[in-house]
Amino acid sequence: MSYQDIIKKLETAALHPAKTVTEQIRKTGKDAFGCFPIYTPEEIIYAAGLLPVGMWGGKTELKLADKYLQSFCCSIMRSNIEYGLKGTYNMLKGIILPTFCDTLKCICENWKAAVPHIPIVPIVYPQNRSIDAGFVYMTEELQRVKGEMEKITGRTLSDDDLEEAWELYEEYRRTMREFTDTAAEYPQIIGAKRRHLLIKAGYFMDKREYTQDIREIIAGLKDEEKKPFAGNRVVVTGLLAEPAELLDIFEENQLAFAADDLAQESRQFRTPGGTEGSVWQRMAGRICDQRGDTFLYEEEKSRGQMLIDMVKEKEADAVVIFMMKFCDPEEFDYPIYKKELEAAGIPMLYLEIDQQMDSFEQIRTRVQSFAEMLA
Amino acid sequence: MYLGIDIGSSSSKVAILDEQKRIAAVSVLNLGTGTDAYEEVMKDAMEQAGARKEDIKFVVATGYGRINFKGADKQITEITCHAKGASFLMEDIHTIIDIGGQDAKAIKLGENGQVANFVMNEKCAAGTGRFLEVMARVLGCRIDELSSFAEKSTKEISISSVCTVFAESEVISRLSAGEKVSDVARGAHMAIAKRVMGMAGRVGYEPKVVMTGGVALNQDMVRCMSKEMGCEVAVAPYCQAVGAIGAAVSAYDISHKKEK
Repeated sequence: MSYQDIIKKLETAALHPAKTVTEQIRKTGKDAFGCFPIYTPEEIIYAAGLLPVGMWGGKTELKLADKYLQSFCCSIMRSNIEYGLKGTYNMLKGIILPTFCDTLKCICENWKAAVPHIPIVPIVYPQNRSIDAGFVYMTEELQRVKGEMEKITGRTLSDDDLEEAWELYEEYRRTMREFTDTAAEYPQIIGAKRRHLLIKAGYFMDKREYTQDIREIIAGLKDEEKKPFAGNRVVVTGLLAEPAELLDIFEENQLAFAADDLAQESRQFRTPGGTEGSVWQRMAGRICDQRGDTFLYEEEKSRGQMLIDMVKEKEADAVVIFMMKFCDPEEFDYPIYKKELEAAGIPMLYLEIDQQMDSFEQIRTRVQSFAEMLA
Repeated sequence: MYLGIDIGSSSSKVAILDEQKRIAAVSVLNLGTGTDAYEEVMKDAMEQAGARKEDIKFVVATGYGRINFKGADKQITEITCHAKGASFLMEDIHTIIDIGGQDAKAIKLGENGQVANFVMNEKCAAGTGRFLEVMARVLGCRIDELSSFAEKSTKEISISSVCTVFAESEVISRLSAGEKVSDVARGAHMAIAKRVMGMAGRVGYEPKVVMTGGVALNQDMVRCMSKEMGCEVAVAPYCQAVGAIGAAVSAYDISHKKEK
C-alpha cells in the first residue's frame, strides 16, 4: 500500500469512528474500552488485552443529553452523553474517565445513571504534580485503576504486560512527534484537515497497526520534494480543532498548521515518559513532566511562553486559538497567554467553536480576514 | 474603471473608481444577500459612473454574499475592505467600528492603514443592526426614526439583556411600566454601544475612531458610542458603502499592481 493509500485509509477511519472501531474489534479480536478525554492511561487498557477507544465527542444532534447536561456545558461532553444514551457506545466494555474539569466530575455520576450498562472507572490526577507527594499519589492512582480494570476484565495484569504496552505507547508518542514535525514541512500534502484526521484516527485503531501506518506515511513524505509554501504558518492551541469542515477554511486560505498545542493532538504525545524507576513511575512521570496544559495545574503558567517558543522554533506567523465554547479551564488560561503573546507581538485569531456548529460563514470571514491581515 | 461590490446581510452597495482613483459612483440598496438587489445596485452605479460593462477592468466582491457572487475577479473580506475604504476616505484613522445588519466589528489599523487586529461578534445579534430593527418594531417606529426619538430622551434606562430576544421582552416590560419610547430607544443605543465597546477593548482601540456601516447613519447611536468609548467617534463619508469603496480601492490596487 502506498503512503497516499495509507493516508486515505486513516482519513476514512477518523471520519467514521463507529465503523472503524467495529472493524478493529473484528480484526484484533479484542474488546473495546472507552477513554474519556484527557490523558486516560491507555497503556493499562492495552495491557489488559483491550482496545482503547478515544471518546472525543462528535457531531450529532443533541436530543437526550439535555436530561443530564445543560446547554452551557462543553459540547464534547454533551455529545458523549448523547452517544451513551443513544447506544452508540454499546460496543464498549467500560470506560475510564479522568475528572479534570467540573463537567467531567459531574459526568462521572451522570454516566452511572444514564448509561448503567457500561461500567465507569474514574481517575483523579494530582493537583500538585511537582512535589514528591503528587508523584507518589499519581503512581498509586494508576495502580488503583489497574485494580479496577482487573475487576472488570477478570484478568490479572502483570508488570510485564504493562511494560510491553508502555513501550508500544512510548513508540507511538515518539512517532507522532516525528509525524507532526515532518507534516509541517509538507503543508501542500498534509493540510490542516488531513493533519487533524491522521492524528485523530489513532484513537479508534489498535496503536500497533496505527503507529506502523504513521511510520510509513512519514517515510513516504520524506521521499517527496519539499516545496516553498506561499501561505502562512500558524501554531494552534485549544481543546481540539473541530468540526473538521472548519479546517477546510484554513486550507482554502493557505493557512498551514506548523505545530499544535491541542488537547486532542500534541498534548497527548508531546511529553515523553519518565526513564527511571518502575513502569508506574515512568507513567506517572509523563503526567508530572507535562507543561503548558490548562488541565494540568502549574503555578508558573508556562503556556504563553511555550506558545511563543513554538512560534519562534517553527518560524510560524501567528497563533490561532480554538476556544471550545463553555470550556472553563481553557477560558481561564486565555487572558494570561493572550497578554504574553501580545507583548511578544504575535498576531492571534480567537475562534469560538463547538462540535455541533454547522454554519461557518462568520468563521470563514474571520479566518479569511486573518489570512489577508498576515499576507 | 474599478468596481467594488459589498453584498451584506441587509443591504447591497456598489462603488466605482475611475482611472484617477476618484469615486465615480456609489449606490446603496437596503436589500441584502439572497435577493437580486446586487443587480439593481450594480446597474444604478454603472449609470451614475456612465460606465459600460467593458469599461470595468477589475471587480472585487466583499460582504456575506461575496462567496456566491459570480461576477468578481477576486473576493476579499469586509474587514479588509472597511480598513481600505476608511483609510482611502479619511486620514490618521486608528480604529474602525463597523456595525452592519448582523455583524459588529472593531478593527485596529496599523501604520499604513492595514488591518493590525480585529474582533467580530459571534453568531448572536446583540450589538448589531438587527438588534435595532427588533427594538424599532417593539417601539412601533421605523428604524430611521430611532435616532430622533432617542435624542428626546431625558432619563437613563438600562437595557440589561445582551440577548436580542430577551432584550425585546425587557423593552416590552419597560413600556408596560410606563417608560417613554425616547428613553427606551436611548437605552437600546447604549446597550449596543456598551457591547461594541467591550469588543473594541479587546483589540485595544485608540483614537481616531471612525464608525462605518449602516448603523452609523443613526446619529444618536454615534453619540452613545462616543460616550462609551470616551473619545470622539467620527462617521465615515458614505458610511454604508465604505466596504464597497474599499473593495473598489482593492480592485484598483490589484489591477495596477498587475500592470506593473
